[in-house]
Amino acid sequence: MINNIIKYGLYAVILVLVQLLACNNIQFSGYINPYVYLLFILILPVDTPSWLLLLVAFLMGLIIDIFSGTFGLHAFATTFIAFIRPTVLGLIAPHDGYQSSQSGLSIGSYGFKWFLIYSSILVFVHHFVLFFLEVFRMTNFFNTFLRVLLSSIFSVLFILLFELIRRGK
Amino acid sequence: MRNLLNFLAKYNHVIVFILLESLALYLIFGADNYHNIKFYKGFRGISANIEKSVSNSRYYFGLKEVNDRLATENNALKERLAMLTTGKEYSTWEVIDTSLGRQYRFFEGEVINNSVNRQKNYITINRGQKDGIDKDMAVISADGAVGIIVASSKNYSVAMSLLNIDMRMSARIKSNGYFGSLSWDGVNYLEASLSEIPQHVSINVGDTVETSGYSSIFPEGVMVGVISDYYSSGSDFYDISVRLSVDFKKLRHINVIGNRLLEEQTELESSFE
Repeated sequence: MINNIIKYGLYAVILVLVQLLACNNIQFSGYINPYVYLLFILILPVDTPSWLLLLVAFLMGLIIDIFSGTFGLHAFATTFIAFIRPTVLGLIAPHDGYQSSQSGLSIGSYGFKWFLIYSSILVFVHHFVLFFLEVFRMTNFFNTFLRVLLSSIFSVLFILLFELIRRGK
Repeated sequence: MRNLLNFLAKYNHVIVFILLESLALYLIFGADNYHNIKFYKGFRGISANIEKSVSNSRYYFGLKEVNDRLATENNALKERLAMLTTGKEYSTWEVIDTSLGRQYRFFEGEVINNSVNRQKNYITINRGQKDGIDKDMAVISADGAVGIIVASSKNYSVAMSLLNIDMRMSARIKSNGYFGSLSWDGVNYLEASLSEIPQHVSINVGDTVETSGYSSIFPEGVMVGVISDYYSSGSDFYDISVRLSVDFKKLRHINVIGNRLLEEQTELESSFE
């Protein structure tokens, strides 16, 4: 338990730093910004209590908000995906169910394809909520939607890359 | 009572969810501006320091280009100086109103944080209240208009960039003097759009767009960009795309301009609204 707290605390710090110092400075074609810090919410163990998951996600989003000056936008979007995470996990559950363990989810736990689907769904929902809440208008719907799609693709790519590095260690 | 407790226990995560999302929504909409968030101010100092070191290291790699641009600007200024001192081409030279110089105060500064990929982009500047920077001052660079200061702390200021979907600025076409409203549609960081120019006016691709001075924040005649495209829509007005003269992706050196008479003007005008 204590081990887990230290381990995930460390991941949180690393991901926040990577997000703020590297990813927030990468700007493909002007307006695509990958959000790699979401990986933190993806890898928390399956049996994390819902309230804890929500609280941790909210704090993570809030930290990103504070350092990028976006007031609650990320906090809202990350809390939202933390809320739907158990449902999504239920929908794409492997045949023999999840092994109840505290070891956390990773690209290695249920295969690459499973992780790709899992991360794509949550990243897409997160970006959808984030981008539409940011503009808060429906004019230019398709433009915003395109940004959601493109940014999701880049975020998922970065998250997979990060996962592969994490697994390689 | 027991039922209620059972209910709460069963749906505790829904309650936590609703509470946290309400808090997030309050942060987004309740505290609409950069001013109102108390806890934010404390963190701003820390994050501004981190941003500063990141931007310093990035700046180092772009030094050559910055040097070139400064040299070009220097050159242009020298040419103007030479023209003024020798009185050459005096007839084609604009007469500069010396009272204008007294109306506006100039401060130099550096951009330490900037973005172009959001819908609401803000710029952080390394000058604050202790340098005399305050809300509603204009920010320009050597290339043209950049934004408007929306908040300032002791050492730092935050400016709303032209690349912000909430930004509205009065701008005019230099060749004919017609003015309209400049805004950004959130798509391309190189282009803004100019509206409210009536269709009977003749305009061309390449016409210069500059600030009109009507907003009393920007002085008159600051370069904004050039018309890159226009078409006539069904309404009485053109849809004009303006290619911004400032490249927001490599913004570094800026000037802040304060209008000494801003308060007087807005006070006088407010009695007629």
